[in-house]
Amino acid sequence: MINSYATLLKDDEVQRIHEASLEILSEVGLIVRNEKARQRFAHHGCNLDGETGTVKLPAEVVTEFMAMTPDKFTFHGRDGELDKTLPGDGPVIATASSAPNIIDPVSGRHRRALSSDIARIAHLVDQLAGYDVLSVSVLADDAPEGQFSLSRFYPAIKNTKKPVRASVLDRAEAEQVLAMCSLIAGGEEAFRERPFVTFGACSVVAPLAMDVNSTEMLMYYAENSIPAHSITVPNGGLSAPFSLAGTVVQANSEFLAATVLAQMSRPHTPVLYLVLPTVADLRTGAYASGGIENAMMDMAVAQMARFYDLPSGGYIGQTNSKTSDAQAGFEKGMAPIAGVLAGFNYLLLGGLLDALMTFDFGQAVIDSEIAMMLKRVARGMEFSEANLALKVIAEVGPGGMFISHPHTMERMRTTAFLPQIAERGSRDEWIEGGSMDAHARALGRAREILSGANHSVLSAGVDARIRAQFEGLVNGDSTPPEGWDGRPEKPARRVRRRRRKRRE
Amino acid sequence: MAEEDQLDLGSLGDGELIEEMHDDIYDGLKEPVAEGVGILIERGWPAGRILAEGLVAGMDEVGADFRDGVLFVPEVLLAADAMKGGMVVLKPLLAESGVQSMGKMVIGTVKGDIHDVGKNLVAMMMEGAGFEVVDLGINIDAGTYLAAIEEHGPDILGMSALLTTTMGYMAEVIKAMKEKGVRNDHIVLVGGAPLNEAFSDKIGADAFCRDATTAVDKAKDLMARRQGSLAARTAGG
Repeated sequence: MINSYATLLKDDEVQRIHEASLEILSEVGLIVRNEKARQRFAHHGCNLDGETGTVKLPAEVVTEFMAMTPDKFTFHGRDGELDKTLPGDGPVIATASSAPNIIDPVSGRHRRALSSDIARIAHLVDQLAGYDVLSVSVLADDAPEGQFSLSRFYPAIKNTKKPVRASVLDRAEAEQVLAMCSLIAGGEEAFRERPFVTFGACSVVAPLAMDVNSTEMLMYYAENSIPAHSITVPNGGLSAPFSLAGTVVQANSEFLAATVLAQMSRPHTPVLYLVLPTVADLRTGAYASGGIENAMMDMAVAQMARFYDLPSGGYIGQTNSKTSDAQAGFEKGMAPIAGVLAGFNYLLLGGLLDALMTFDFGQAVIDSEIAMMLKRVARGMEFSEANLALKVIAEVGPGGMFISHPHTMERMRTTAFLPQIAERGSRDEWIEGGSMDAHARALGRAREILSGANHSVLSAGVDARIRAQFEGLVNGDSTPPEGWDGRPEKPARRVRRRRRKRRE
Repeated sequence: MAEEDQLDLGSLGDGELIEEMHDDIYDGLKEPVAEGVGILIERGWPAGRILAEGLVAGMDEVGADFRDGVLFVPEVLLAADAMKGGMVVLKPLLAESGVQSMGKMVIGTVKGDIHDVGKNLVAMMMEGAGFEVVDLGINIDAGTYLAAIEEHGPDILGMSALLTTTMGYMAEVIKAMKEKGVRNDHIVLVGGAPLNEAFSDKIGADAFCRDATTAVDKAKDLMARRQGSLAARTAGG
């Protein structure tokens, strides 16, 4: 465990951000473009300006509905063993989502992503220990008309038992996805008991505007007890003030407004305080998702979430780099460690390059390793008398060797995270192995996984029922890409012939 | 453990017993390995065959799984220690029957250097592979090396250094061996973090060993080229 979270805000600053947010909501208000939402706010005591569509939320209304929020949020997987409940199971790590492009794993060329890519990504994420949740990483350029989101959810759910998260465009799309999920679960009731998808909705568009469709979806999910979370994505200098505190206070106001509407739609709807705050690079206006300020504001959000007794999360560890180079490494390494040390519970960090525009298989494997390192940090020092090892130090004595001591034997597989991508051999060994850099090794690992069997794939019977119901549905199978269908480069590990039989 | 203890090694046929000994080496169980060696001696097995088939072959399995990342260094060392348990029983017989062991090594960290973790690992792994090892310790000067060579008559001299400032001393030792006219009577292996192949060649050592397992491999390889060694006789078998 982390003994004490890193904080950038003092307690009175947290309080001030809360009060300032209430002031923004009651004095400035939000433009609400969805008529049903306007009426719902008005019905519960908010002030609606019928002319402009501006809704002002009195502080007492916000306080009343914020008091209804549960303090936990659960992601369910197809396999219940893989469920993750925030904040207790944090840091929970997910892929970052919805990139339109992908770097082709065989040719290395940048191209539009397809549903077959989603199937492979799900297969890969299913096997990578770093990831707890698959937030569907890319769009499907080959989606048939009328199945835009189904073409993302289907290959994802088909190929992983881990919780799956993505957004849909509208209610008809959500109902399509839910119908598919009911087929998988064996009925609507069974699915509702363990809903293994979570929907996202960007209901608040910074600054302080609630959209028509995504606000409709926010209410729909809450009314029907469908797991969902809202996200706010302020960009300092463009859609938010160009100061970290200003962007955080606006994000907090937007989060409060969306949460209040969800609670108005159904009290005690589970809430995740989810954000993607950035500040623009004003030299060019570029979107700086790789900026360290993203992590700093996520750290502040972690504090605000604790203030409201809610789990926190968001995009963190993104990069503007176009390739898995040193820039990707330092941007993806520095931000998440700050988030974890600050007690940020849910980190969408994996797989994307180029400011969330492009997925890369090798990068996804590297990010899984970053995720494992983060989880190691979160385990903490594991301080105990046994780990203090006083007796061991005395037994080994000055000038002795610890390597074959039972204390070492007991811990040799658990004390340290054992990386698969980071390489620690001698230079000679590295040269003998082909002088590969981390990305080449990671891509090799992706190839190994994707050339192997997927044990998490949906049963053929269930799949046939889905395909019968949705005509023209994309294939959704994870098959090795052309050029990768041969034997993986790395020879299979020898199967250990003997088992420890007589060890105490 | 209690139930397992009831396994009577003496009741096993030769083939099963050998397999059991390999498992015990793999699991790092010293006593049953020693017991197994004793039983094979009673059954009239020649010492050389017990060494090759009972002990060295068992360690070969350990080495293979270590290279595959299945076993970790502490487990290999424990296996090496179990193997050593068998060697203790076997050694008098080997000497008696005139069969050479895998080879004998004198090893030490060179003058000016007290870093011995790597050297100790090499010593443990060499013993585990069936070599007899005389560990001189740390801060060893040329005179001490030469005296030990004279006293123990090793096949191999091993030198270790962690510091760039001390590794040069290895050249002094080899020079002293040459001056005494004994350089070509022994295989000289060198190792340590700052060393490399080029350094080893420059000072006139026989091989640079980048880690403990490489040391064992190179030792076996070089021994196999020495006439009359056990390795030479069992090579390719």
